[in-house]
Amino acid sequence: MLCGLAGIGDDNADAVAFACVGAACAIVAAVARQRVAAPERATAGRVFAGIGLLWTLLVLFGAAVYAGTGALRSFDDALVESAAGFTTTAVTLLDASEASRTVLLFRGVTSWVGGLIAILIAVVTLPVVLRSTALIGYTTGRRGMDLVPNASVGTRRVLVLYGGFTAACVVAYLLCGLGLTEALVLGLGTASTGGFTGRADSLAGYGAGPQAVAAAGMLVAGAGIFLIWWIARGRLRPLWRSQELRTFVLLLAVATAAMAVHRDIGWGEAGFMAVSMMSTTGFAVADWTGWGTSATVIMLVAAGIGTMMGSPGGGMKVMRARLLMGSAGGELRRQLDPYALILVRRDGETLSRRTLDRLGGHQIAWVALVGVGVLLLGISGVSLLGSVWASVSAVSTVGPAMGEIGAFGRLEGLDWPGRLALVPLMMAGRMSIPPLMAGVGLLLRWYRTAVRQSRFLVVRAEQRRDPRPESADADG
Amino acid sequence: MARRLVLSAAGPAGAPLRGRFASTTLHVIGIALAAMSVGMLACGLLEAFTTGRDTAALVVSGLVTGTAGGLMWYLTRPGEIRKRHVFSTVASTWVAITCVGAVPFVLAGTFATGGAGFVEQVVNSVFESASGYSASGSTVLADFEMPGRGLMMYRQLTHWYGGMGVVVLAVAVLPFLGVGGLELITAEAPGPSSDRLTPRVSETARRLWMVYIGFTICAAVAFFVADGFSSIYDAVAHAFTVAATGGFSPYADSIGHYDSVAVETVVIVCMILGGTSFTLHWRAVANRTVPYHRNSEFRTYLAMLGVAATVIVLLLWLENHLSLSSSIRAAVFTVVSLGTSTGLSNATGPGSPGDYVTWVAGAQLVLLFLMVVGGCTGSTSGGIKVMRMRVLSLTMLRGVQHTQTPSAVIPIRLGRDIVSERVVSRVAGFFLLHFLLVICGMLAVTALEGDLESALGAVVSALGNMGPALGEAGPTSNYAAAFSQPARLVLALLMVIGRLEIFPILLAALNLADRGSAAVRRGRFSLQNLSRRLDLGE
Repeated sequence: MLCGLAGIGDDNADAVAFACVGAACAIVAAVARQRVAAPERATAGRVFAGIGLLWTLLVLFGAAVYAGTGALRSFDDALVESAAGFTTTAVTLLDASEASRTVLLFRGVTSWVGGLIAILIAVVTLPVVLRSTALIGYTTGRRGMDLVPNASVGTRRVLVLYGGFTAACVVAYLLCGLGLTEALVLGLGTASTGGFTGRADSLAGYGAGPQAVAAAGMLVAGAGIFLIWWIARGRLRPLWRSQELRTFVLLLAVATAAMAVHRDIGWGEAGFMAVSMMSTTGFAVADWTGWGTSATVIMLVAAGIGTMMGSPGGGMKVMRARLLMGSAGGELRRQLDPYALILVRRDGETLSRRTLDRLGGHQIAWVALVGVGVLLLGISGVSLLGSVWASVSAVSTVGPAMGEIGAFGRLEGLDWPGRLALVPLMMAGRMSIPPLMAGVGLLLRWYRTAVRQSRFLVVRAEQRRDPRPESADADG
Repeated sequence: MARRLVLSAAGPAGAPLRGRFASTTLHVIGIALAAMSVGMLACGLLEAFTTGRDTAALVVSGLVTGTAGGLMWYLTRPGEIRKRHVFSTVASTWVAITCVGAVPFVLAGTFATGGAGFVEQVVNSVFESASGYSASGSTVLADFEMPGRGLMMYRQLTHWYGGMGVVVLAVAVLPFLGVGGLELITAEAPGPSSDRLTPRVSETARRLWMVYIGFTICAAVAFFVADGFSSIYDAVAHAFTVAATGGFSPYADSIGHYDSVAVETVVIVCMILGGTSFTLHWRAVANRTVPYHRNSEFRTYLAMLGVAATVIVLLLWLENHLSLSSSIRAAVFTVVSLGTSTGLSNATGPGSPGDYVTWVAGAQLVLLFLMVVGGCTGSTSGGIKVMRMRVLSLTMLRGVQHTQTPSAVIPIRLGRDIVSERVVSRVAGFFLLHFLLVICGMLAVTALEGDLESALGAVVSALGNMGPALGEAGPTSNYAAAFSQPARLVLALLMVIGRLEIFPILLAALNLADRGSAAVRRGRFSLQNLSRRLDLGE
């Protein structure tokens, strides 16, 4: 509705459409809040299923807006654009030169809302609602208790920090000489790691100032809400002691150096693209698809690893990758001594064998998801290279990819089956693996219950049709 | 040598060997080299009676290898096998046979074409040897007419030796190893665990080799009949490759050379059997029953091949616009070839129906998936293995169940058996390391020149001991044209790592690193002592 208000005077028809969909959303939310009681005990399965449902509804409402305003002609295109927005993936079908200010702002807002919900789920919902150490691999661990002592305080703090960081980005862009709409779109895209710019060539057409602001913003957004919290509180010790942050910075430095040794790439461009990929934002300052294979493979790996816990970005997450490396090293050592006690720690916290096994399961699911995505895209007619890249990029919520999509995340090169195949991948990447697994679990449970009930009914029907004499069994 | 063999086979506790230098690693390498030399000399004999071009290279290699191996075997005795040494032994043996196996190619000048320097010849020879002994089938050979028949047969023989494993061969002729022998076999054998067919490890190894030899003979006979009784040489050469699920062929266009449905059918059946557990084959022979359908891994393996073939047939028919019969013929052969990690091709030339690099991306991606999975445990094929994939899928499903009930204790079952958490954790670790190696391999190969598609295909292919890959390294192409020399060396290393299922080579490296750091610590300690003494002296 705010976007609609912002569009008054620029495109009144769009403003009306936005107001209508906004009002519908508000009514649905109000009715749901009033009619549906919160469960007494929130089980893990229910929470994860709720998260899945939330993302699905958001994407559908977003698609209704794009279709309602006529910004995109078909509903499937609108669905793709909405999914890209809410999942903070920098791919688009919008023609920036034709789209109204309202639509551009709405596209930015979808990313921002998507990023906010992702942080809230990771930092507040999972650790507070599921106070289970078994799920430690999915949550933020002990350090989360510092920022989120309870749900209401945590939510408030996250809103303030995230909002403040976004405002800082917008102000920085304004100081670089950009207009208000552009600064807003870029600020929302930077803070949420959405990567939407409203231009066909991403950030390539902007000057050094906005590019520097974007790089710094992506670095902070990729490092997550804890970094902003620590900086806001002036606490430098946790900053230095954070294993995850050190690994994140180290990986960025290595990726930058490895790309910069390539003769055609400058240090600035290499650093920018390393941050862009690792923070899963997807901004581009050049058409990097022609940079050479080794540089692009480094970017692919960086996109796969992704951001820190508590960031609006996607990917496998630095902490999980680090723990898995530790787990693999431990497994290697255990080959030599099967009874060796090998401890894997996270910020001084020793993780149980069970947690590590679950993390292993998470990683297998992540690879399987990417694999399924590659197959889906390949069968949809996308090239081999394009399928591999697009699948990793979509699951990590980056967006740009080698092949048909290109460095600036344009989806015109894909046919409709390929575009639609991206929607579940982006959503699965955004929701992260546990809600996806919970959704599959619920489906399996419903299926089993249905099968059991149908079997029971069949047996009952047979018994009614052919009642056995009780005496026969007794005699036998 | 024969006396030693008899002593080894007959001696209950190795008493006659007392007083020799105790080194299991050198002893096993010695046996492996001795076995290799027999093959080299036999191929030298074949060369002498046929083309005669490379006789000297094969005979000299055979004699040198035999002498070196015999001396190592004679002068050493197996010592106490510690867990740490098992992996070093297996890794060292494989590195040794890969390097020594390259000697005939170097001496014969097989790769001295197109003005190649000595270093390039050595690199190509090592690549070919690694590809042969690891039963991969990737080749850098451009001119298939140049080497003589004996040398080409030696190339095929490398597959055969590597297929069942030279360490298994060593254990078969060495009854001294006891429990350590099982660990040696486990370290080399494909799969998360190795089945003991008998209480005696050496007997198990011997039985496996008997099944292997029997299967090779049957494959040779079947090929000979299907080929219209035309060439014993071709039949034996291809029997070596299908039994080992290798991929080398004496012809540049592989099985496409024959362009015969009968030959392709025989090869398909042999490849499927080669990708099946040899323990099952032994049970089928020994018990005179058909145990295959009762084995859940075998059923999954067949189902996987069937589904993949169906999907690819449809894609080729609808998207590549091939005729239905051509689609079926090309798809079934290629699916079985890559699904069993053999790597033979029925492409009659670039752009023909069997040339899968021209297929639509979806079909190539299905093939890539098959390359990753590979065949059954206990078979000669490579890849992650069907059983591991099942355990991984079940681990993932358990994760799904844990999202509903986080505290539930859910065992993983394969058929009726519960898989121990130890094995589950080992499988997960293996998968993770495999994944990391694919990424590191891609980074290395692309950094050393190579496009992404070819690099991805080649790394997956090398780790899965597949042979042909995607892109420029397809079934009608050559690795020499697709990758630089250092990249080829990286791929050769990956092939050996993949053949040994990752752990032995990494653990051997870890062992070396541990020794290095211990030496550094000792050096520091000595320096500190020295400085203390000097201080006291002052």
